[in-house]
Amino acid sequence: MGLPLFSAHDDPGPSFYHYARGAGLSTSSSGSDAASPHATTVVAVRYDHGVVMVGDRQATGSYIASRDVRKIEAADRFTALAISGTAARGMEFIRMAQLSFEHYEKMTDTALSLEGKANYLSPIIQRNNLSTPLIVLPLLAGWDQSHERGRIFEYDGAGGCYERFDFSTIGSGSPFAESTLRLGYAADLDLEGALDLGALALYEAGDNDPSTGGPDFVRNLFPMMVTISSAGFHELAHEQVAERFRVINERRTRSGGVAGGSLR
Amino acid sequence: MTNYFYVSPEQLIRDRAEFAQKGIARGRSIVAAIYDSGIVLVAENPSASLNKISEVYDRIAFAGVGKYNEFDRLREAGIRWADGTGFTYSRGDVDARALANYYAQHLGDMFTEGQKPLEVEILVAQLGNRIRPTKLYRIAYEGTISDEPRFAVLGGDAETIKGRFAASEDSLEPLNVTLKNAVAALAGLDRTIGVSELEVGILEDRGDRRTFARLTDNDVSELLR
Repeated sequence: MGLPLFSAHDDPGPSFYHYARGAGLSTSSSGSDAASPHATTVVAVRYDHGVVMVGDRQATGSYIASRDVRKIEAADRFTALAISGTAARGMEFIRMAQLSFEHYEKMTDTALSLEGKANYLSPIIQRNNLSTPLIVLPLLAGWDQSHERGRIFEYDGAGGCYERFDFSTIGSGSPFAESTLRLGYAADLDLEGALDLGALALYEAGDNDPSTGGPDFVRNLFPMMVTISSAGFHELAHEQVAERFRVINERRTRSGGVAGGSLR
Repeated sequence: MTNYFYVSPEQLIRDRAEFAQKGIARGRSIVAAIYDSGIVLVAENPSASLNKISEVYDRIAFAGVGKYNEFDRLREAGIRWADGTGFTYSRGDVDARALANYYAQHLGDMFTEGQKPLEVEILVAQLGNRIRPTKLYRIAYEGTISDEPRFAVLGGDAETIKGRFAASEDSLEPLNVTLKNAVAALAGLDRTIGVSELEVGILEDRGDRRTFARLTDNDVSELLR
């Protein structure tokens, strides 16, 4: 790879994606490897000072391919990015997003706004999803430094970007997670409330969706929980997450597996 | 009918060098120096937004003097190259020496084959770790690359500033001392440079992947106190 110099009229600007495409660093060929691992549940819940995200860790093909995948990553200090869909494409997508945001920052000496990041991803998703059957759907959540609040952006398969003001879910376990969130969400949720609700939503998804991994007490593996606030991206320690799921599990064991009655 | 006059290669090179040197001498200088826990880059720059110093990669920084549009394009190409290389291979495979070589080749080509030589002088700094050394690569307008052992000076007045800095520091010092020496070397005896006229960047391990940081005017005044 030589020194990538461009004349003013064909300069790709601060967009790493456009540079990489032009230089042939990232390829999006149409394959039809539909059996590559996918399926997921990730939820994002807004609370009064940020956003909580909880994601399962199972990669599923026709069998369980992996039990400790990280589907939520920090895209930069104030932004989290989660993926559902084809694992390989999802990982590439996260890498591309992380690099793009940093690239923009280095090229222009200013950080991209949260809305700018959300819009930047749209055509990448569109291009990927319309040209191959290897669908990737991301979920973007971040702390908006100019508006001082947590924000969530979800996407549809065609790259449409929509802001959600309450919560959002992606992946095959979405119907179950979404139901739980709908019933439990309140506009004035605090951090504890949001963590509890997010964990419960994921527990429900893991309980009902065969392609979502719930808490795994045998292997001591638990879903990922992160918060994004004015302090930035923070991943909860393993013990804290384990404790939260243990509590839910014990409650559920006492009720004989029945969720109904109250949200608990 | 067009007349072609013979110009000897010696004369051509001399003319081109003189042209480039003149352009470079118009701008203010930059001092880059290794201190006890990192690298500091100090530029005299009256503009707060047209930067001469920039982050390139996790452990690599760029500095340029001369014509802004010319070195800024090189800076952008460097960032692209580094991010592209890291994306293709791994972050650990991005090496300042490779980048410095590309810059040297490009400047050399432009000097001999371009319409005009680039009126720039640039520096690629790399903060070392277990697998790579701490390095300052200075690349001149005609593509000469030099590996500067402890500090480098870019700009028209480089030799004088070099002498002043070398006289003030003979071993690795803490950041505040090195910064003070660098600013004094840039200013000379009969002049002081205000904090707002300085652009300062450092490469230092702070526990993060990215080691580059810009120092604010407040940081700089605090250190110079």
